[in-house]
Amino acid sequence: MSYAYLFKYIIIGDTGVGKSCLLLQFTDKRFQPVHDLTIGVEFGARMITIDNKPIKLQIWDTAGQESFRSITRSYYRGAAGALLVYDITRRETFNHLASWLEDARQHANANMTVMLIGNKCDLSHRRAVSYEEGEQFAKEHGLVFMEASAKTAQNVEEAFIKTAGTIYKKIQDGVFDVSNESYGIKVGYAVPNASGGGAGSSSQSGGCCS
Amino acid sequence: MVDPHYCDWQKPERDQQQTQSQRPTPHPTPPLPGSMRGEAEPAARGAGAADAGHPRSPDPHDLSDDPDYADAASVPASIHAAMRTDMADIGSEETARMDVVYEKERVTIHPTQYGSGRISGKLRLYLQLGSLFLSWEPNEGVNSFSTSSITAEIEKYRNLYTIQALPLSDVRFIRRHTPTFGLEYIIIVLSSGLAFPPFYFYNGGIRELFATLKQHVFIIRSDDDPNVFLVNDFEDPLQKSLSSLELPGVATVANAMSRQNSFSFTGSVSEVRHGDDAKYGGPSTMSEYVSKQRRKSSDPGRDISFQVLEKFSLVTKFARETTSSLFRENHSSGSHAYGRQKQEYVLDNKASDKYADQLITPDDASLPSDSVESDELLLVWGKKRGNPLSVEEWRSFLDPEGRIMDSKALRKKIFYGGVDHVLRKEVWKFLLGYHEYDSTQAEREYLAAMKREEYEAIKSQWKSISTTQAKRFTKFRERKGLIDKDVVRTDRSVPYYEGDDNPNVVVLRDILVTYSFYNFDLGYCQGMSDFLAPILYVMEDESEAFWCFASLMERLGGNFNRDQNGMHAQLLGLSKLVELLDPSLHNYFRQNDCLNYFFCFRWVLIQFKREFSFDQIMLLWEVLWTHYFSEHFHLYLCVGILKRYRLRIIGEGMDFDTLLKFINELSGQINIDRAIQDAEALCSIAGEAGADCIPPGTPPSMPIETDGGLYVQEDDVL
Repeated sequence: MSYAYLFKYIIIGDTGVGKSCLLLQFTDKRFQPVHDLTIGVEFGARMITIDNKPIKLQIWDTAGQESFRSITRSYYRGAAGALLVYDITRRETFNHLASWLEDARQHANANMTVMLIGNKCDLSHRRAVSYEEGEQFAKEHGLVFMEASAKTAQNVEEAFIKTAGTIYKKIQDGVFDVSNESYGIKVGYAVPNASGGGAGSSSQSGGCCS
Repeated sequence: MVDPHYCDWQKPERDQQQTQSQRPTPHPTPPLPGSMRGEAEPAARGAGAADAGHPRSPDPHDLSDDPDYADAASVPASIHAAMRTDMADIGSEETARMDVVYEKERVTIHPTQYGSGRISGKLRLYLQLGSLFLSWEPNEGVNSFSTSSITAEIEKYRNLYTIQALPLSDVRFIRRHTPTFGLEYIIIVLSSGLAFPPFYFYNGGIRELFATLKQHVFIIRSDDDPNVFLVNDFEDPLQKSLSSLELPGVATVANAMSRQNSFSFTGSVSEVRHGDDAKYGGPSTMSEYVSKQRRKSSDPGRDISFQVLEKFSLVTKFARETTSSLFRENHSSGSHAYGRQKQEYVLDNKASDKYADQLITPDDASLPSDSVESDELLLVWGKKRGNPLSVEEWRSFLDPEGRIMDSKALRKKIFYGGVDHVLRKEVWKFLLGYHEYDSTQAEREYLAAMKREEYEAIKSQWKSISTTQAKRFTKFRERKGLIDKDVVRTDRSVPYYEGDDNPNVVVLRDILVTYSFYNFDLGYCQGMSDFLAPILYVMEDESEAFWCFASLMERLGGNFNRDQNGMHAQLLGLSKLVELLDPSLHNYFRQNDCLNYFFCFRWVLIQFKREFSFDQIMLLWEVLWTHYFSEHFHLYLCVGILKRYRLRIIGEGMDFDTLLKFINELSGQINIDRAIQDAEALCSIAGEAGADCIPPGTPPSMPIETDGGLYVQEDDVL
């Protein structure tokens, strides 16, 4: 399938916070509680449209356990976006955010867009982290924030697409040199003139496919 | 099993093999008949059928539109007359019948671009053991019109061009060139991408050549270029199934031979690199070489390797020069098809994608064979998979008191065929090291009872932790919480663990928590449940499953160690093995910053658990656990699978990300029998050099104990 851009995303966060479920909800629009735990990394992909342009999201869903951090770090390379996920019902997953962020800062592109997601918001009766705390953390660290539920699909679509929108805007603003793939962005073949670093590309030209 | 794609394995080395003889032999020497003993019977059948007439079933690709095919092969019957070749000179009691089906004199090579130095020779096609081979031998002496300096050079290198026995199964395609003015010639390109220099037909004969080829091998015209004839292009489903049936006439043995050659050769390369006492000796047959290698005695193959390596660089140099000059020539005559590097041509070919697909079609899994004898020789390429250990066979291994009398033979049997499922419960306990092979039935029963008590005692350690106590015991809480989360995400699609509130899932949990107390330093790490689930399924007993799992962790604990040193050691070993067994793939990984081999992480961590079905993984694991060839057989599996896909990996220029995704997506696509056979072959040829690649103590070797305990501890271990 042709696309104007391909964005590489990486989903990170403690084990069991629902990374794989968020991915599955986003790519397949379903919730599967009995999914095998992730070893190493799994992949998902979906096309979205931003500004009338087809954009392919290639999403890397990583293993969360601490022991595998050294492996996970190698996956950051060339990611344009990251979803940093915690579980609102498990305080420790929130407490570990800073260390995840540090990993991301060290091993990812400095311009990587990070979205903080408080998952399992359908379980608000077991909430251990307040919305405000999440929001505050995001603010302090310059992240976009959302609470979501992979189970009910609440905000899942929004989280992925909002991240893509932020990345897209960075392209438009010329933050990225899209010809350099280390930014996690590949220019596709759908839009012939999309390689101009975003400067002045017509938002209505639309590309050839939809 | 026909596998044209095996050709991408080490093919250049195989070609060197063909050039190893210093003097052209009067008759092409068939490769290594001595090593073929185990295959002799089916091979002979194949040859017989080929003799009987047209060996192949109706050709699905009718080439009658091609003028070169229009005349039925008009091969003089006289040439058909068998030519017996005595094999005594290469040390075999066997004689292999060699039927020449095509022979042409004055088929000439123009090694220099100036056309003044030419080597005339004889091109032959011959059948042996059911497979078709091509040979080309230069005539004695060089054409007189060469200048003296060129003569010297030609004389020096002429033997490089000798093709003693090229199995047609190694050929990717043959290109026919019919210039308006000048001589017709062909270029033979191997699956490896290596091209032989053009053969100019001074006396004509290209049409007959193709007609003869068509009789004996599967050959079709390329869609892209009518002058390109694809050999062994099994994209046609009918042909594919024919080949999988191993019908006579479809090259089968040649594949095995070519594997053998290439493997043996690679073996010698490794010896060259790692041997410290290379002795000079005369050329030897590979079968001799292999058996000597296996006896670890002095190795006459080593100096061959040097010679062959040296020659190989020359051959490739010549091939490169000739091909590149051809490319220029083709450009000027307006042909585009060859306006690229030959390697790229092979890779770009439409069929190459089907390569990998075909490699993994389930229908060409090899059929079991019971020819167990003379495996010293058969080992050189992966032996066919056998039947699983049956109940009767199992009993035959036990003495009246239940001791296993010949554990090596047992492990060998299991290595080649696995274990009948009903026996797994019993046999795995030995393979995993929970039971000793020389224990009696009574001793084992006693041990089981003792161990059951011990298990219950360890289990009670954490079972007795109250909620209040747990509140003050973060490490326990977190560990148990993690295990709770993971057991419900382990093999839940397998009926044994399916459904809500499945008691087996609870047992899985209890064993893992108990283990994390039994081995508190190591604790729990993701991936352990992947190992335990099949073990519990087989044992159907909590205590027995626990002790089997604990035994396995004695060897594989390093995989789950906090600092991941076991994993890093294995990935490093893998890297060294690839460097040894496929230097060009290694270089590719190096250039693309892939040498950490993280793309094989999942393969190694849980020994391919996620790559195969539940049933297949039980088979694969019992094969690995025999440690029959190597404790690190799983690393050879990795090398074998990577080699299978090397053409795609390199051809598509995969970077780390793409490679990782590609490897991930191989899950469920790997032919298990062939993967094991490949690994066996690689393991055999790597020999001591392979073992040297892997540092001592690398899992699943037993860890080297240090004063500070087995497992590295840090404060925040879960």
